[in-house]
Amino acid sequence: MKNLRLASRATEQRTVVKVSSVEFGRDFIVIAGPCSVESEEQTLETARAVKAAGADMLRGGAFKPRTSPYAFQGLGLRGLKILASARRQTGLPIVTEVIDPRDVSWVAEFADMLQIGTRNMQNFSLLKEVGRSGRPVLLKRGMYSTLEEWLNCAEYILSEGNPDVILCERGIRTFETYTRNTLDLSAVPAMKELTHLPIIIDPTHSTGRINLIGPMSQAALAAGADGLIIEVHHKPDEALCDAEQALTPEMFADLMRRLRPLQAFLQNLPSA
Amino acid sequence: MKLEEIRQKMDKIDRELLVLLQERMGLAVRSKKFQETASDPEAEESLLARVERMNLDLIERSFTRQLLKTIIKESKRLQEEDRQLVAFQGEHGAYSEVAARRLVAGGAYIPCLEFADVFRGVEEGHFDLGVVPVENSLEGAVTQVNDLLTTTTLKVAGEIKVSVNHCLLATEVTDYREIRLVYSHPQALAQCRGFLARNKLEPRPFYDTAGAAKMLARENPKAAAAIASALCAELYDLEIIKEGIEDGPSNSTRFLLLSREPYTDAGDKTSLIFAVAHEAGQLYGVLKLFAEANINLTRIASMPLRSDPSNYSFFLDFEGSDKDEHVVEVLKRMEDLSISMKSLGSYPADRTTS
Repeated sequence: MKNLRLASRATEQRTVVKVSSVEFGRDFIVIAGPCSVESEEQTLETARAVKAAGADMLRGGAFKPRTSPYAFQGLGLRGLKILASARRQTGLPIVTEVIDPRDVSWVAEFADMLQIGTRNMQNFSLLKEVGRSGRPVLLKRGMYSTLEEWLNCAEYILSEGNPDVILCERGIRTFETYTRNTLDLSAVPAMKELTHLPIIIDPTHSTGRINLIGPMSQAALAAGADGLIIEVHHKPDEALCDAEQALTPEMFADLMRRLRPLQAFLQNLPSA
Repeated sequence: MKLEEIRQKMDKIDRELLVLLQERMGLAVRSKKFQETASDPEAEESLLARVERMNLDLIERSFTRQLLKTIIKESKRLQEEDRQLVAFQGEHGAYSEVAARRLVAGGAYIPCLEFADVFRGVEEGHFDLGVVPVENSLEGAVTQVNDLLTTTTLKVAGEIKVSVNHCLLATEVTDYREIRLVYSHPQALAQCRGFLARNKLEPRPFYDTAGAAKMLARENPKAAAAIASALCAELYDLEIIKEGIEDGPSNSTRFLLLSREPYTDAGDKTSLIFAVAHEAGQLYGVLKLFAEANINLTRIASMPLRSDPSNYSFFLDFEGSDKDEHVVEVLKRMEDLSISMKSLGSYPADRTTS
């Protein structure tokens, strides 16, 4: 791979990205929360539930890149304030998506980590802006992107002087229609060869099916991923966005109960 | 003019009317300090008649009369309420008013132009109480106030520490992404320098933080915001874009409650001002008294004497009440050692750690 001066893996050293108290690349980090911030009550209730279940970070969208211009577009600034208040009350660091370069500095004032969504992976002016934001960036894989294209986008952020990039595999478009996307789990060991950056898995958007989220989460952990990002909603039926794929807090807690022993088991495996 | 524009202008006028009414009610409450009875039918009638003579063709005389009568009635109701008049320096929403509201609940908070107006107003009985800042944890003493304390006959009846929580405020119709200019007091702008730089905002000095918020609410200039207290957002109906935008660890300002009467109970903190002869060991002699009596000093500050700039007066705050026996003893011996000594009184200490 050419021109990946900063993103490619030259030595054995791996990057650890610190987001307040959370360390990606060292621990297995679970990010959970609603697709979008809908109200203070919904966000706080979900935040408390995922915290109790053992999540390390809270997700929640204030600006939503929706397929349809008539779908709920997010609460904007009000959503950011709600997220900040959820962090105050739970202590969970916040990751939220930014879709407009004009918003980057403002979102950085409220969030601990900025997310670049799949549709904006190659929005280069946005990548440069988050590269200058001074905040860690969660870079989702474009739904039609190769690993090389993805790494080049990470390179954009790194080259602006921001060393804190975390990759997130969220499924790619294939001919399969049963699942929303096809989760490319092989991206995990492949990226471990190609780059020093941490990589996490989004089992929610990649499958789009509640029943597949648990098994794929366990598979991600087994494949060596550095973490997960999972959608949880305290009342999925009433969610304004992605209602059919959010876990309830109970389902999420159940998943966490199975992940932690698996993590311990994997740590005791003899290394390859 | 478009309908939208007309509506906005009407909305602005309604706000101005309310701000003016607030000012008028403040004056009404103040006026009761001057008159024996709250109602004065003769003055009222002459006011009504005078205003009626204004020839405003869209406002019927009967409506004018009705409106003013309602306002006068409300003024009277306010005058009859037992609200304490609490003076502070600055515009409504100033940090001094934040302090005043916490020190005295349910008062009528009256803005004054200068610190001297607060002192004089309370001394002359036009206000019941005054609230003034005495020191800031970053900037040090507020010299004007300390200077006034040396000459005043007022007593300190309380204190409070207010942590400075700067908020970025804008009118509801302003999109935060369009904000380019930020108005505030130079000190507040300086304390938020990093925030302004990160978001590429241009600082514009203004005479007062609350004044900047008030200007924003009344004039709604394009692409502009203000840095002021959260109270300002409430008073002027502004939106808080972000709270706590100061760069450093938050600083706090200590305010004193001024009264003509000393604090009724013992209190547990005492303030005094003294001067000693310009000779070796004089100040030490005074401080030794406190050390030997095991009294903890919470503030020592010196200020040149206005009457004799080569000499200094010292401000001393310490733990304990001037009704405590060991304090009484120290004060008595201190009087012999100093040229002048004035106790500002004992009061309850603010023990919050902000």
